[in-house]
Amino acid sequence: MPSTELESARFTSIDWATESGGWRSVRLRTAGLVAALLVVAALFTYDYVVAPRELFEFLDWDVTRIDWLFLVSTVLFVRYAVVPLAANRDRAASYAAEFARRPAGVLSLGYILAFGVLGVVGPEWFGLARVDFGTKLQPPVFATFDAADVWPYTCVGNSVGDVCHGTWQYPLGTTRVGEDMVKLIVYAIRIGLQLALSAAMIMVVVATAVGTAAGYFGGWVDDVLMRYVDVQQTIPAVVVYIVLATMYLGQGLFALALIFGLLDWGGIARLVRSEAMQRRTDGFVRAARSAGASDFHVVRKHVIPNSTATIVTALTRQIPLLILAQVALAYLKLNNVAYRSLGEVLLRGLSGNPVPWHQKWWIAGFITLFLVLTVVSFNVFGDVVRDVLDPQSEVA
Amino acid sequence: MTDESEADAILSVRNLEKHYPVRSGLLRRVTGHVKAVDGVSFDVHEGETVGLVGESGCGKSTTATSLLRLEEPTGGEVYFEGEDITEYGSDDEQAFRRRAQMVFQDPNSAFDPRMTVGESVAEPLGIHGLRDGDRQRRIVEDLLERVGLSADDADQYPHEFSGGQKQRIALARALILNPDLLVADEPVSALDVSVQAEILSLLDDLQSELGLSMLLISHDLGVVRQVCDRVGVMYLGELVEMAPTEELFANPQHPYTEALLASIPDPDPRNRGDAVELTGDVPDPSDPPSGCSFHPRCPRVVPPADYDFPEDSFREVLDFRLSVENGDVDGDEFASPADVRDEFDLPPELPDGDADAVISAAIEDVLAGDTGAAADRLGDAFETVCEREAPELVETDAGHPAACHLHGAASEHAPPELSASDDD
Amino acid sequence: MTEPLLSVRDLHTQFDTDDGTVRAVDGVSFDVEAGETVCLVGESGSGKTVACESITKLVPQPPGKITGGEVVFDGEDLTGLSGKALREYRGGRIGHVFQNPQGALDPVYTVGDQLVEAIRLHRDVPKSRARERAVELLDRVGIGDVEERIDDYPHQFSGGMKQRVVVAMALACDPDLLIADEPTTALDVTIQAQVLRLLDELQDERGMAMLFVTHDLGVVAEIADRVVVMYAGKVMETGDVYQIFEDPSHPYTRALLECLPGRGRALETIGGSLPDPTDPPDGCRFHPRCPHAVPKCETGSQPDFEDVGGDHEVSCVLHGDEHRLPDAMLEVADDD
Repeated sequence: MPSTELESARFTSIDWATESGGWRSVRLRTAGLVAALLVVAALFTYDYVVAPRELFEFLDWDVTRIDWLFLVSTVLFVRYAVVPLAANRDRAASYAAEFARRPAGVLSLGYILAFGVLGVVGPEWFGLARVDFGTKLQPPVFATFDAADVWPYTCVGNSVGDVCHGTWQYPLGTTRVGEDMVKLIVYAIRIGLQLALSAAMIMVVVATAVGTAAGYFGGWVDDVLMRYVDVQQTIPAVVVYIVLATMYLGQGLFALALIFGLLDWGGIARLVRSEAMQRRTDGFVRAARSAGASDFHVVRKHVIPNSTATIVTALTRQIPLLILAQVALAYLKLNNVAYRSLGEVLLRGLSGNPVPWHQKWWIAGFITLFLVLTVVSFNVFGDVVRDVLDPQSEVA
Repeated sequence: MTDESEADAILSVRNLEKHYPVRSGLLRRVTGHVKAVDGVSFDVHEGETVGLVGESGCGKSTTATSLLRLEEPTGGEVYFEGEDITEYGSDDEQAFRRRAQMVFQDPNSAFDPRMTVGESVAEPLGIHGLRDGDRQRRIVEDLLERVGLSADDADQYPHEFSGGQKQRIALARALILNPDLLVADEPVSALDVSVQAEILSLLDDLQSELGLSMLLISHDLGVVRQVCDRVGVMYLGELVEMAPTEELFANPQHPYTEALLASIPDPDPRNRGDAVELTGDVPDPSDPPSGCSFHPRCPRVVPPADYDFPEDSFREVLDFRLSVENGDVDGDEFASPADVRDEFDLPPELPDGDADAVISAAIEDVLAGDTGAAADRLGDAFETVCEREAPELVETDAGHPAACHLHGAASEHAPPELSASDDD
Repeated sequence: MTEPLLSVRDLHTQFDTDDGTVRAVDGVSFDVEAGETVCLVGESGSGKTVACESITKLVPQPPGKITGGEVVFDGEDLTGLSGKALREYRGGRIGHVFQNPQGALDPVYTVGDQLVEAIRLHRDVPKSRARERAVELLDRVGIGDVEERIDDYPHQFSGGMKQRVVVAMALACDPDLLIADEPTTALDVTIQAQVLRLLDELQDERGMAMLFVTHDLGVVAEIADRVVVMYAGKVMETGDVYQIFEDPSHPYTRALLECLPGRGRALETIGGSLPDPTDPPDGCRFHPRCPHAVPKCETGSQPDFEDVGGDHEVSCVLHGDEHRLPDAMLEVADDD
C-alpha cells in the first residue's frame, strides 16, 4: 500500500505570519494590461486635449471615437484571449489538436482568422475602392455582362459585341460607379471587425459582471439584476440606437457599437448566470471556500474561467447579428461609416439604375454570400469552441 | 457533557442551529423555516474521529458546513480550541480556515477542470499568501506522494484520474494547510467498495500519523464503524443518540438507531429478513411532526399509560389513528369491522378491554361514515407522549446519551430530564 | 433439468470510443431459472449494467454494438429479433427497473398516465380498465391513498416512493423476468430495506425471475439465490449465494468480501486499479491485482470455468488441475 511509509509526522510546516502576498506577486500580465491601457489613455488625452483636430501624422490616421473603442477592446482581447493561450502552450496545443479533428472547425477558424487579419490590415493592403465611371459594372471573372442598355460603357476585359467578359483585375466585379467589389468587401470586414470586437468587449465585460454577480451571490442581487435584464430585453437596441444616434451620438459605428454593446448583453448574462449558479455548488468552489478563499478569488479563479465556453459561444451568436444589423441599418440609411458600408452598396446594387438588379447580380450576390459565410462561420466556430472548451467534456 | 470534556475538546458544538427561511408569495415573505439543523451539540476531541450518520435530509452535511461557517449558522456556538468561532472576525476566520479543512463527497466535481492537479492542490497555499511557485511545487509533490500518488501527477488534469485517485488528491488539498481538524462529508460514498477500502485506510493512516481530529459525515454505517471512535445519529436536524462506535452498534438506545442498524444489509446470506422495517418516509423538514420527530415511524412508540398494550403493538393502533386523522380511511371501502382491522394489521381483539372498546367504537364510526368522530375518539384515548413532548438528549442506562421517551422512568408523565437518572 | 428462462451465452458487447474499442462485456454466460433471483455483482466498469442492458438491446447503438453470443429467453434468441419484436418483450415479458427513479419517470405526466401508457403498450385494454389496473399496482407496491396520488406528478413523490412507482411500471404486464439495475443504490438504507422487501414479496407472489444488478454485497446476501461475479467484462465466479459468501473461490470474490467496511476489523484493500478497458491484460483479467497470481495467469485468455462442486464455477487457474491452490490459501478469513 502506498501510504505506509510516512517518515515525518507532519507535513512541511509553514509560518503563515511571515507569508504575505503583497505587491510583489502582481503578475506580469496584469502589469502589461495596465501599461497598455495607460498608453491608450495617454494617446487619447493627447489627441483630444493637445491636438484635437490633427492627425497622427506618422500613421496618416485621424483617430475617431470608434478607433479608440477598438483600441481598448483590442488590448482587452489580447490580455484575456491571446496571452492566456500563448502562456499555456500545452492547453493551446490541445485545443488546436481538438480543432484539427473537426474539419468544420478548421474551416471556420480559418475564415475567422482571415477575417481578423483582413480587418486589421486589409484596407491598407488592398486600398479603398475608388469611384471610376470608366470601370463601372465590370462582371466578375468567368462571368459576362450584356452592356447593350448601358451607355457609355467600357469593358476592361474582352468584349464580344455588347457582351463583356470579366477579368482578374476585378475578380468580383464592380459597382455601377466602378468600385471594386473586392475592396468594398475588404472594407466591410474592417467595419465588421471594429464593430464586433468593440461591442463584444463591452458585452463580455457587462454580461460577465452581471451574470456572475447574479448567479454566484443569488438572493436580492440576483433578483434586482435579472429583473433589470428583463426590462432591458423588452427594449430593442435598434430602437434605442435610432433615437439616440439621430439625436445625440451621430449615426456612426461608435454609436452602434456602444449602444448594442450596452444593451444587447442580456442573453449572455443569463447564460453566464446559470453557469455561475452551477459552479457555486461544485466541489472545487466549495473546497476553495473551505480553504478560506474570498468570493473575489472564487469568481476570478473558478467561476469566470469555467464560463468561458459559454461566453465565447454566446458571442459567436451575437457577433454575426451585429454585423447584419449594421448592414441593415446602413441599407436603411440609418448608419454611416467613414467610407462605405455594404448596406449602401447593396441598396444601389438592388436598384434598377441603370439596369435591373439581376443583370448586375454579382453586387447583391457577393454581398449576400459574404454575409452568409460570415454568419455560418461564426456559428460553426461557436459550436466547435463549445465542444473544445467545454470543461464538462473534459471531466467525462 | 462536563466541563472537563469541553476543555480538551478541539471542537465543541453547542446547540447549533441552521434554519433556512421558506419564502413564498410575490413579496417573498418568510412563511416558515426548514430546520435543517436544530440544536445539535457534540464534541470532537484531539486525535479523535467522530461520525455523524443519518439518512438524506437529516441535516448532517448542513451541520458540517455550518460548524465550519461555510454557511452562517442561525444559532448556537461552535468552540474551536475554546474560542467561539461564530464570533470571529475576518483575520481570525482566515487563521481558522487554515486549521480546519473539509473534504467533499463527489471527487468528480471536486476539481476545477481547467487547472492541473498541482494547481488545484496548491490553491489553498496561494489563498493564504504563499505564492512562491517553487515552494508550492515542493509542498505539493511531497503531499501527492504521501497520499499514494506520484510527484509527476501534479502536471496532469483531473479528468485523467479515477474516482479513487481524485479523492486522494482531494485529501492532499485538504491537508496542504496542515489542518488540525478535518471534516469529511461522505468522502467515499461515490466510490466502489474496493476503492472505498483504500481511501478509508489512507484516512486512517494519515489520521494516526498526523494526529488529526476528524468529523466524518456518512450515510453508511459500515464506513462509520470502520473509522470512527464515536458516532452521533441524526434524524430530522436533531442528534438522537451519541455513543462510542462499538457501543452504538452493540447496544443502540434509540429506536431509530436500532432501525438504521437493522436496515444495513448484512453480508451474510444466512441472516436474511430480520430487519426492523421502518414504515414511511422521512417527514418534510419544513413541517416536522410535533414532539419526537421520529414518532410517526417509530416501531416502539410509547403507548399511553392508561391502557395496557403488549410490547410494540401500539404502533398499529397509532397508524390507524393517524390514517383516520389524515382522512385516508374511507368507510365505504370496508364491509365489516374485521376488514378494517385486517387492513390496519390490528388484532381481532386487543388484550386491554378498554383500549379495544375505543378501537371498536372508532371502527363503527368509520363504517358509519363519521371519520371526524372516530378521529376525536382515537385522539382523546390514544395520545402518546412521543407526539406531545420532544425528548431531550439524556444519559441512558447504557452509559451514553439518547433522545427518546423510552429512557425516562414514567415517561408518559414525568418530564424525561428529571427522571433520567433514577430509571431502574 | 428444464430449460432456464433466460440463458445468456458468450455475450459480447463493445463500445467504439475515441480512445479505442471498449469490450464492456467480453464473453459472458449465465442462466436465470424461472422464479429465481440472480445477482450480477461487480464494481463500476465491470460490465454488469451493459450485460443486462444487452439482453433486450437497450444498449445505445451506436456507440454500443452487440458483436456476438446469444440471449435465449424462453426458447427464443433475442439477439436476432427486430426492433418491433423486441419491444414486445421489453416491458412485456421482461420488465426493467433502473437505478435512478428520477430519470425513469417523465416529469410532465402524472404517474397514473405513465402507468396506463405502460399497460396499454402491451395490453389491448380500454383506458378505464388500464387505470383500474394501475390503481391495483400502485396499491400493491405500497403507495398509500392511491386514488388521490395516482394523479400526482413524479416530483410530488419522494425518492423511495418514485422507485415504488417504477417497480409498479415494470410489473404492469406481469413480466416473467424483472431486470433490476441497482434499484436501491440511490435510496437511503431504511428505504432500501423497504424496496428490497417489496421486490422479494412481489417475486414470491408472481413467481417471476429476477436479474438483479448491484455492487453491494450486503444487498446480494439479502436477496440472491445465485450470484454471478463480474470483473472487467468477464465472469469470474458463479455459484449459489451460500457458496459465494461462505466458500468464495476466486481471489477477486474473496478480495471484494474482504474490503467491506464496518465488520469490526482492519480493511484489506485490493490495491491497483481496474485495467484499461480498451486494452485489457492477457490471461486472467484480474491477475495484475491478484495476490495469488502465478506466471500462467498472465498468458492466454481468461481461464476456463472449473466446477468446484455443485454448480459452483470459477475462472481461475488455481482451480485447474495443474495448480491446486493450497488449502491455506483457499481458506476464507474467519467470518464473524
